[in-house]
Amino acid sequence: MLRSWLVMLVLPLLAVADGTATDHWSFSPPRRHEPGVLRDGSWSRCEIDRLVLARLEAEALRPSPPADRGTLIRRLHLDLVGLPPSPAEVDAFLADSNPDAYDKLVDRLLASPRFGERWARHWLDLARYADSNGYEDDRFRPDAWRYRDWVVESIHRDQPFDEFTVEQIAGDLLENATYEQQVATGFHRMPPANKVGVASNQEEFRIKTAKERTNTTGSVWLGLTVGCAECHDHKYDPISQREYYELFAFFNSTDEAEIDAPPLGESHHRKYREALAAYRSKPRENGNNEPQPPSSKALVLLEREQRRVSHVHLRGSFLDKGQTVTPGVPHSLPELRRRGETADRLDLARWIVDPLHPLTARVEANRIWQRLFGRGLVSSPENFGIEGPRPSHPALLDWLALRLLERGWSRKSMVREIVRSSTYRQSSRPRQDLARVDPGNRLLARQSRFAVEAEIVRDLTLASSGLLEPAIGGPSVQPPLPTSLASATALKNERFREEDTGADRYRRGLYINVQRTFLYPALKAFDAADPNVSCARRERSSSPLQALTLLNEPSFVECARALGRHLAQLPCGSGARIEHAFRRCLGRAPESAEVDVLRDLVEQLDRLYTLRPQDARELTGEDDTSDTAPWIAVARTIYNLEELITRE
Amino acid sequence: MTSTRTTEDTLRATRRAFLTSSASGLGAAALASLITTDHVMGADRPTRPTPHFPPRARAAIFIFLAGGTSQLELFDPKPKLRELTGQKLPESFTKKERFAFIEPEKARIMPSRFGFRRYGDCGMEMSELLPGIGAVADRITLVRSTHTDSFDHGPAEILFATGDDSPGRPSAGAWISYGLGSESRELPSYVVLMTGRGPVSRSLTWGNAFLPNAHAGVLFRQTGEPLLNLSNPPGVPVEAQRAQLDAIRELNRQRFKKVPDPRITDRIEAYELAFRMQASAPGLIDLRGESARTHEEYGTGRPGAEEAGFATNCLLARRLVERGVRFVSLFHRRWDHHSGIQEKLRKNCHIVDRPIGALIRDLEQRGLLDDTLVVCGTEFGRTPVTQNSSPGPGAGRDHHRLAFTTWMAGGGARRGHVVGATDELGWRPVENAVHVHDLYATILHLFGIRHEELTFRHRGLDFRLTDQGGRVVEDALA
Repeated sequence: MLRSWLVMLVLPLLAVADGTATDHWSFSPPRRHEPGVLRDGSWSRCEIDRLVLARLEAEALRPSPPADRGTLIRRLHLDLVGLPPSPAEVDAFLADSNPDAYDKLVDRLLASPRFGERWARHWLDLARYADSNGYEDDRFRPDAWRYRDWVVESIHRDQPFDEFTVEQIAGDLLENATYEQQVATGFHRMPPANKVGVASNQEEFRIKTAKERTNTTGSVWLGLTVGCAECHDHKYDPISQREYYELFAFFNSTDEAEIDAPPLGESHHRKYREALAAYRSKPRENGNNEPQPPSSKALVLLEREQRRVSHVHLRGSFLDKGQTVTPGVPHSLPELRRRGETADRLDLARWIVDPLHPLTARVEANRIWQRLFGRGLVSSPENFGIEGPRPSHPALLDWLALRLLERGWSRKSMVREIVRSSTYRQSSRPRQDLARVDPGNRLLARQSRFAVEAEIVRDLTLASSGLLEPAIGGPSVQPPLPTSLASATALKNERFREEDTGADRYRRGLYINVQRTFLYPALKAFDAADPNVSCARRERSSSPLQALTLLNEPSFVECARALGRHLAQLPCGSGARIEHAFRRCLGRAPESAEVDVLRDLVEQLDRLYTLRPQDARELTGEDDTSDTAPWIAVARTIYNLEELITRE
Repeated sequence: MTSTRTTEDTLRATRRAFLTSSASGLGAAALASLITTDHVMGADRPTRPTPHFPPRARAAIFIFLAGGTSQLELFDPKPKLRELTGQKLPESFTKKERFAFIEPEKARIMPSRFGFRRYGDCGMEMSELLPGIGAVADRITLVRSTHTDSFDHGPAEILFATGDDSPGRPSAGAWISYGLGSESRELPSYVVLMTGRGPVSRSLTWGNAFLPNAHAGVLFRQTGEPLLNLSNPPGVPVEAQRAQLDAIRELNRQRFKKVPDPRITDRIEAYELAFRMQASAPGLIDLRGESARTHEEYGTGRPGAEEAGFATNCLLARRLVERGVRFVSLFHRRWDHHSGIQEKLRKNCHIVDRPIGALIRDLEQRGLLDDTLVVCGTEFGRTPVTQNSSPGPGAGRDHHRLAFTTWMAGGGARRGHVVGATDELGWRPVENAVHVHDLYATILHLFGIRHEELTFRHRGLDFRLTDQGGRVVEDALA
């Protein structure tokens, strides 16, 4: 008894004294905290709420009332599946007076394969997913999507986060690794690759890529900027330069490989034959590549048979080798258990998801929270180090991390638990009394109100116009690019110039080809992630280029045209048509003042287009223009409302 | 990377203060510029420089001749090469150095394929291929001692554009746009003009990376729509567009009454700016108002798509800067002359020399050169030896990272002056070596910015354009 007392008292002191640990909050394991006695017990539905409320009460603030049910269903749809609720879904939810209506809705959305797509995109940001190599010429990477589909599937079936982690870092080292477990290692096949660069530079790039893998593993799973220790000891965090190269050694002995993947269907072969015929029929332009037959490979990472010796690189230069190092982890973190004489990636992966690891569960729980509130409890999800900001609610973050472990690393359980809370269900309406004391909404006295991601902007307009092609998975698709742009940017790879026709043009944003040196402009305008580096948090900007995109970009205009035609054909008056449009796009009925604005617009444009039948024909693309043009304008107007692209 | 820790609340208050005081110098322009972002308002709100000294440059035109322009034919005369023609390089030069393609055993020293002339009162020596640029030699600071880290196009381009040879960093144009904002209400603060094929790394050389999206270079075209999605869709005449914009504004306004979120007013503002952009940008590329003499001097009517295209872009660059655009990148590619360097350089110089000379004269005549910095650069130079062949008109040169030439004019750069020198073979600098990082420290200095203090907080760390170092090249300042 006395002994254990002494151990508890003395050990931490010793650790600090010999400099092997730090008292930084994120380096000690998460623990339970008591919320204390709350004044208002009735608001809380769960532990999350108690911990949030404790903080609010300490600041003498009250939480916001719950959002109305119409807002809640749209919020849940956007957060969980990234698509708007249909009017019928909204009606059913509003009419359902059962106390479990909300929980049922949550469960239905979590079970939808759309959840896999929506949350895969979050992970693909971290994985620096792209369909091209980057660097010179930025050639097409035809097999990247196999990894993307693996992520979608894994999240859909709620693969526990520890398995999900182990397979991505070291799937190849698992005993009798399945095809899927190998494809998972595609995570580390995603960095940019300098394939066209000069051959004499290839060793430099191999090492650069191994460092990139080290740094990305550090930021994605540990929330640490380990890359800062590449040239010298980390300035802030307890990671020495030598320890950096010990981590690097895990990734220095790998080979890139391709494995056979299930073959693609006939439609892809037909598409290839057509593309080839088109290519051969036109004059060769300098630098264009011939279309390639559909690939049936997947990109994987393999352990080298002959281990490479790793060194410290003095000042970070691979030409300047210092001491040799063996794979290992920083000793301010828990000890690594290795299976053999030398630790390998599988040991590393298992160490990362060890329940005693202080960082991993916190980092993942924080990211899940971030997706549901617009910002993490730690606002820099990729930096839990000494220079990173402190958590706004340390006790809540710890509780979430422990809960994630308790629930066997189930991400869906964590999402379910968070969205059921009163905290999540609050109204996001800005409050006068909070504007000064908490403008960044760190205290969570309301939900956050923020713009949806670039892909969701696209998905919203496609879905509400009825054009959305719901197919899941498969090779990425190429929407049309203006030809002037394609030549101005010298897109070298034919793949990025072959626009897909038919239904593939209307696939979700997730499936659009990601080219590293030239993002699809309609996504770039809305702050799509830079695929060259791991991205844990996107920017949310508001710019005139976004306005021009939503107003004039052909794919958005096409959606407005489709919705406008639909509205014009409804056998009802203008008020009912406007209401229908609102409900499809915004998930709510319009106020009467809103109806008035759009009715005036219809009347005004009706007069205008009656006088200008040629314009009406051009806008509608039809000869019979009697009524359609003004309704396209209505659709276009709604597609440009702030509310459309906002998750409230 | 340095650290600055400030609470978000203070930052937001600061932003408000900035927005309401219109005359607080540097930074105010940026905050009052086209775009607002959550990022700027959030925890990542940057530290902005306060002007420590009055800026000399207000705008920059950055001409990037991608591919690796040969300094030995154009800017850095080396008569010694003639003496040593056909010889191998001494081993002391090549030992420990990596090359793109040459094998030291096969590569032979080759003299410049072109003669040099003394230009201007300053007597600056430049190629006979550059009479147009030569004519403004008295405005130029020629940096013969530039050097870089990579000999591979992709990384070297990215390094020259962003200060780091891996993708993921903002371009210099994005940094300057971020630091100073735009003076134009109708145009983006950073505009990109391209002639022919662009740089191999495309948008990475004009991208914003982790800086707010508003600072990404925006591609402008000289015909049709100057920028993407500028034109109304077919069948939407301007009255119809206006009616819809009015409806959008009214509905957003009504929403704001119910949900008083500043995001909504930002959005309303963005649509007004978009409409203004639609109204004014087409006029920008309408060059009919320029005099016949101006057209003649730039050579916009010359035969050849690239000739006319590059000349038109030079003229557009002036018009953009005139209208308050902060940073213009002008790209021309195809300077990667591994063979046939003689013929290819002649052709390329014909394309770029006259318009560049005309641009500088034009800026000067309009009183814009004093505060417009023109920079001309390339990702690396070329080797004094051939690429593994015997010297001759068909020969070419390999990539050379150790020494090449960049130049600047206007915007507080010294006039008619040569900075640094290379050894007799043009192999490496022997005097005042200027790394790309030093060049950027100098450029920021000319904009009145201490390069150590233009930072952006990302991943919980403060980043800057000159993270890897950089010193102001005093010798290049007027």
